Amino acid sequence: MRRLLLVLGNDVRRHLRSPLAILIYMAIPMVMTGLIGIIFAPRAEEAQLPPIQVLLVDHDKALASKLVLGTFDVDQMKKMFRVTVTDEADGRDKMKRGRASAMVVIPEGFTLDLLDAKTTTLTVVKNPAEQFLPDVVEEFVTTLAVMLSGAVQAFAAEVRGVRAMLEGPLDTFPWETLGPELGKAQKKMVAARAYLDPMLIRLKADETRAAGARTRFTRTDLFSIMLPGMAVMFLLFIVQTLMRDIISEREDGKLRRMMTTPLRPLELVGARLLGGWVMGLAVLLVMVAFGTLIFRAHWGPFGYFLLLGAAASFWTAAFFGCFHAFVRNRNQAGALGAPIILAFSLFGGSMMNPEAMPKAFLAVGVATPNRWFIDGAALVRDGRFPAASLAVLVLSGLVLTALAVPALRRRTSV
Amino acid sequence: MGSLRRVFHIARNDLRIMVGDKAFFFWSLVFPMLFIVLFGLLYRASDNAPAVAELTVVNLDEGRWGGYFLDKVKSPTIALKVVDSEPAEYSRLLVLPADFSARIEARRDQALAFKKRQDASTQAAARVETRLYQAIARVIGELVVYGDGDLAKFLDGHAEFRDLVQVKSRFPEDTVTVVPSGFDHSIPGTTIQFIMMMVIIYGGITVMEDRKKGVLGRMLVSPLTKTEVFLGKLAGRWLMGLVQALILFVVGQIPPLNLNLGSVPLALLVIAVFAMAMAALSVFIGSLCRKEDLIIGLAVLLANIFAGLGGCWWPIEIVPPGVRTAAMVSPAYWAMDALHKLRFFQGDFGDILPNLGVLLALAAALTVVAGRTFKIRE
Repeated sequence: MRRLLLVLGNDVRRHLRSPLAILIYMAIPMVMTGLIGIIFAPRAEEAQLPPIQVLLVDHDKALASKLVLGTFDVDQMKKMFRVTVTDEADGRDKMKRGRASAMVVIPEGFTLDLLDAKTTTLTVVKNPAEQFLPDVVEEFVTTLAVMLSGAVQAFAAEVRGVRAMLEGPLDTFPWETLGPELGKAQKKMVAARAYLDPMLIRLKADETRAAGARTRFTRTDLFSIMLPGMAVMFLLFIVQTLMRDIISEREDGKLRRMMTTPLRPLELVGARLLGGWVMGLAVLLVMVAFGTLIFRAHWGPFGYFLLLGAAASFWTAAFFGCFHAFVRNRNQAGALGAPIILAFSLFGGSMMNPEAMPKAFLAVGVATPNRWFIDGAALVRDGRFPAASLAVLVLSGLVLTALAVPALRRRTSV
Repeated sequence: MGSLRRVFHIARNDLRIMVGDKAFFFWSLVFPMLFIVLFGLLYRASDNAPAVAELTVVNLDEGRWGGYFLDKVKSPTIALKVVDSEPAEYSRLLVLPADFSARIEARRDQALAFKKRQDASTQAAARVETRLYQAIARVIGELVVYGDGDLAKFLDGHAEFRDLVQVKSRFPEDTVTVVPSGFDHSIPGTTIQFIMMMVIIYGGITVMEDRKKGVLGRMLVSPLTKTEVFLGKLAGRWLMGLVQALILFVVGQIPPLNLNLGSVPLALLVIAVFAMAMAALSVFIGSLCRKEDLIIGLAVLLANIFAGLGGCWWPIEIVPPGVRTAAMVSPAYWAMDALHKLRFFQGDFGDILPNLGVLLALAAALTVVAGRTFKIRE
């Protein structure tokens, strides 16, 4: 046991002397989490999306088109849309250069058609390179169209008066009839206030989770959900790197020299597996500490998380012990190791929220440590004990250890 | 001329070794394909599905206005499911309270609870929410027009609401005629990301190993200059990137992927210039680093940052303006932008010229830096 600990201590010191690769692997999950967090985290402002660039082509240049332009200028809408008035050729050029999500075209005679209560059409030209924002513009314009239709119908009589004013010469207009008409309009506007100020019917939107339980999703929540997936992915990379000594020492001839000392193969194998486990857990805890400090991520009860981290590190050490026992050389280990880790991560939910993944990917994900660690971390975050994750990781880790130890012992004997 | 032949001889040999590697097909085909399928399905889901967005309504209203309001919500794209109490499972839920009609008839304002499940489609939720706002606008519009009397009798008869202003949507002329598929977005993004990963990892590690094992030194015994060795290694890594892109583009033609690149020669030109920059970066990293793990770590870090910033993983339009400006430091941004111009706007050489210029300048700068750090021996 003393010799095992001596080898383990020496391994730890050796890796601490050249920690650059490990530090880079530890930095990757932090950088990725930060980048995704900046882009997807809920913002304090009401608008969840960046301001949408909208181009407006006004072929009408009259009262109704000014009204359309004015609706984009309301304070609430200004947060959501940035409107630029332009012509169609310039609009197309701007969309091509990624400067706009959509172009709203107001047809010629738009105002006159509305005054005549004739059907008219607004065109939304959508940027084909974009996927989400053009649809938002289309839906907004559709809602605006409903409101305009309502307004025209509400003030139909007054609208006809305005139409007559626009058509006839000024000196033939019956000004004396305008007074009662304006009076009626005023009454309608006063009556409309009963429905519009405040709005008679409003929506109170809420985001909910399963069973309708309410929740408020914050930036910290996003980081807390993402970090375990990233951490377990890079735990796999780091433990693989640390345990590659098993192969490289044999190829470099160091193993032969070590075996001339009073060190038994089983002690060396034990030191390597224990080293992978202990160093893996240490690295995971450092990532957790950084995640807490930088992103204010919350992990749940520390004792539960420590158990889960220990189980995941144990599984990882056992897996790479087994892996290095069966691969032929360092090149093969290098060529197969990274693809296996990336496949685990892709199917296991480290690269994407499992809820957004196709069902086939989810089914394969059950066979990965990433999935069990991520599921366990979610339970711990909610203050629950991750019994299933612990059981799966520990039991399958024991099976892998049982396979790894005799195979590694055989390959260590010289 | 002889010098050029020797350079391409080295490049061809490096490419032959790489293609002979068992892991090559995982990195260049299997793994990128998994990414393409996953992201392609996700993009497609966001674009088109669900065709009909579900809305569950708990209608507790004791009057007639609840039913009337729901008639306004009805649309071919909304599947209404009316229930008596809040179910355990739903995607979106609207609650019409017992006094819904009474409050309208008393002209008292009210807020309707609209619950959206966090894990349900955000696009479907937005569609339903917009439809609800449109229904509210219609009902209030009718009330403004005809609601000056007793509202209890309002529903007994009044004129219909007319959609005088209609909305038509289309894409710009001479661009696309059908909605681009999810794979049209995911294949270019994945190709760019894997060219970065593959060229930097493979290219960097092999430069380092060739130097450490003395292969580079031995090459100088033959009639090769140091510059020719450097250019040969550079060209070899450039060919790696091109082969990677060709594999994915050819596989992308298979149904149901049906990749459309716009102009194939121009798309390949963009990839070629991009791969040139990545080849120079890989030689630079391979010359600088002495450990394989360090190269892999740096490659994963750089490729992920560049891919994330450059719009390979998510549509660049949803990124905050500041990040979008910062994204211009990523070579992936310029390549993705050029591929978008070709695919979605049927762009020509003139349209992608600024992108090619930036990528060429980057490739030239990295080549100079890589040339200065390139070492034959440790």
